[in-house]
Amino acid sequence: MVRRKNAFCYLMVAPMLALVLVLGVYPMLQTLGMSVVQYDLMRIAREGTPFVGLENFRQIAAEPRFWIAFRNTLVFVAIVVGCVVALGLFVAQVLNMDFRGRGILRSLILVPWVTPPVVSSAIWIWMYMADRSPINQVLMSLGLLDAPIRFLTDASKVWGPFSVPMGAVSSVRIWNGLPFVTVMLLAGLQSIPHEVYEAAEIDGASGIARFRYITLPMLGPVLSVLVTLLAIGGIGHFEMNYIMTLGGPNDLTNVLSVLAYQSAFTFYRFDLGAAISAIILLSTGTVAAFYIRAQLRGTGAG
Amino acid sequence: MSAKVTRRRFLRAAGLLGAGAGLAACAPRVVEKAVEVEKEVTQVVEKQVTKVVPGTTIQFWTMNYGDPAQWLDMFKKHATEFQEKTGIGVDVQMINWAQGMNTWLLVARGGAHPDCADMYWLHSFASIGGKEYGPLPITEYQQEYWPDLKERFFEGSLKDVYWQGEFYGIPWRGDIRPMIYRVDFLEEAGFSKPPETWEELREYAKALTVRDSHGNVLRWGFLPGGANPCQNFMPWVWQAGGEFMTADGKTATIDTPAMAEALEFLYQLQNVDKVIPPEWLEPSFAPMDYFAADKAAIVFQVPDDWAKNLERDYPELDGKWAYEVPVKNKTRACYSGAGYWGCLRGTTRVEEAVQWIHYLSQDSIMTELSQYLGRVSPNKNVMSNPYWQEKEWRKKIVACLEHAHTSQHPSPAWSRIIVHQPGAPIYDMVYEVMNNNVPIPDAIAKCQKRVQEEMDKGAS
Repeated sequence: MVRRKNAFCYLMVAPMLALVLVLGVYPMLQTLGMSVVQYDLMRIAREGTPFVGLENFRQIAAEPRFWIAFRNTLVFVAIVVGCVVALGLFVAQVLNMDFRGRGILRSLILVPWVTPPVVSSAIWIWMYMADRSPINQVLMSLGLLDAPIRFLTDASKVWGPFSVPMGAVSSVRIWNGLPFVTVMLLAGLQSIPHEVYEAAEIDGASGIARFRYITLPMLGPVLSVLVTLLAIGGIGHFEMNYIMTLGGPNDLTNVLSVLAYQSAFTFYRFDLGAAISAIILLSTGTVAAFYIRAQLRGTGAG
Repeated sequence: MSAKVTRRRFLRAAGLLGAGAGLAACAPRVVEKAVEVEKEVTQVVEKQVTKVVPGTTIQFWTMNYGDPAQWLDMFKKHATEFQEKTGIGVDVQMINWAQGMNTWLLVARGGAHPDCADMYWLHSFASIGGKEYGPLPITEYQQEYWPDLKERFFEGSLKDVYWQGEFYGIPWRGDIRPMIYRVDFLEEAGFSKPPETWEELREYAKALTVRDSHGNVLRWGFLPGGANPCQNFMPWVWQAGGEFMTADGKTATIDTPAMAEALEFLYQLQNVDKVIPPEWLEPSFAPMDYFAADKAAIVFQVPDDWAKNLERDYPELDGKWAYEVPVKNKTRACYSGAGYWGCLRGTTRVEEAVQWIHYLSQDSIMTELSQYLGRVSPNKNVMSNPYWQEKEWRKKIVACLEHAHTSQHPSPAWSRIIVHQPGAPIYDMVYEVMNNNVPIPDAIAKCQKRVQEEMDKGAS
């Protein structure tokens, strides 16, 4: 009986497993393989793809642009995850309240989610154009600005790893990712029994105390899943940084995935691109490992 | 294939014999008639030959130009006519420029490929593909199908279809870049004619730049080019008398006074006179948007199809802009490039693909394509068509051909040297000088070293 049940389960999982193996694991292994050979399209016809060990990793580690991209990736993830979770918590709390028009608002909040990142990028490039940005026009007509903000091109105002372009690109990612976070948190909020809040209210707990001691702990599982997914997505994030700035100006918005793409498809160095991708894989794998370990501990399985 | 050719040659000989018989009967206009008969016979022969393999269909990829739907329709119409004449079907597919680079990289590394296509950057892709993949030389067909190649096509454009002595296809698309300016803005500023030299250009740019009370620029006097930053930069160097590499493609020539002069001039315009937008090196910078939105008065060199696009998309600007041959320093060098129709390694239908390219390379079809796009043709007969003298902007484009300087360079590594992205040697050099205040000699020395390294890696 148990064997039959297992067989049924394996059968059900098999199609998805096959897809993951073919479209996920196989390319991943191919890429890892490519990271330890010389795979330079300019030389491949003459020299082939000789094994070079860790030479590609040594080369990228010696390249300042890699470290800039590495730092930018961490900053980008921190900004996006921090802001989107904070905003998501706020918006979810609002949408969880009982008020007229709540349904319409819940639908509207999903709009950025259904806008593909490529389209979002195109829209925001226009919104951020220094000379024609409607944001600049509004701020200047209100007398709040004397000169337009060069959202995507200002390389002069840099504060450590933070810059205007990094803020501009991150804000678009936050805008695009907010609905997903809000929906997840809203579902989490709705699963918290009202009785718990009522009991706390009777005990005289303030709103902040209720949020801190009831909402946050009870949203813990949802939040940990969210943060993990957002961090993994953020480390490998590509579209917006590539489309909006190509990683510029001055590499201020360059992240690892953009650098990997540029190395491979712009400069024909698939070996270096693969090495950078391997580092992305290692980073996301580390985050996932921590998450799985925490989950196993939580369920008492580990 | 050899059997087919043999049969063709046999039939052609028979046709010529027939033509000879005709000549004997018609003494007057003997030579002209003979040529006509030979052509007719050849056509009949081709029909007979292709009937040997009925139902053959080749695949042809074209990049997208103008209105993509119209472009595809135009090719499908020609494919139908070609099939009626030869029996060879042509499956026409279109590639978007946004995916062009990745597509051709994949093709050059053994990915799915058509039998023949509209391609570019022959030197790089031929080198990447080696003898296995990518562009296929069709030297053996050149004499048979295009015996008058050198007479029909501009010499410069033929450089783009030869690599290591082999012939790869027919140049069909020219890209010559005139200067464009706003007639109304120049008149407002009291100029009766466009600038002629770099120094005049600087004066004009200062006079044409308009600022508000806070010093914000409302209109830039000048934009350094109408395409991507690296393409925009090249003509400045050429005009200062420089080149990027030696003619044999083995030695980088970045470290020259001409390079320094070009960088210095642009630096002065951007950072001292502040008459060009500091964004001009960024990917989001769109020169045509600036020009059409009254935010720029002169653009150094723009792709020749700007005129057609302005006529179509901005009719309200009619009469307010004009083309001119670019300003002069030591030369007036105009950026020029070419796309070509060629075959791909791995095709088993080379003969059919070559026939299709031959068909497309007729003067009438090349004229149609050139006029549809408003772009110059590498075909001399197309450019002698009255169309190119009907409007002032067309005359200027033709005048620019005298100053054409090919953007192709004889090193396979050129495409990654000149690509307009951070990390590419030329882009980084210009960016560091313009925006990071790196001293020009330092930026040039670094770039020289990097370009030479790339060329050494790409050396065959």
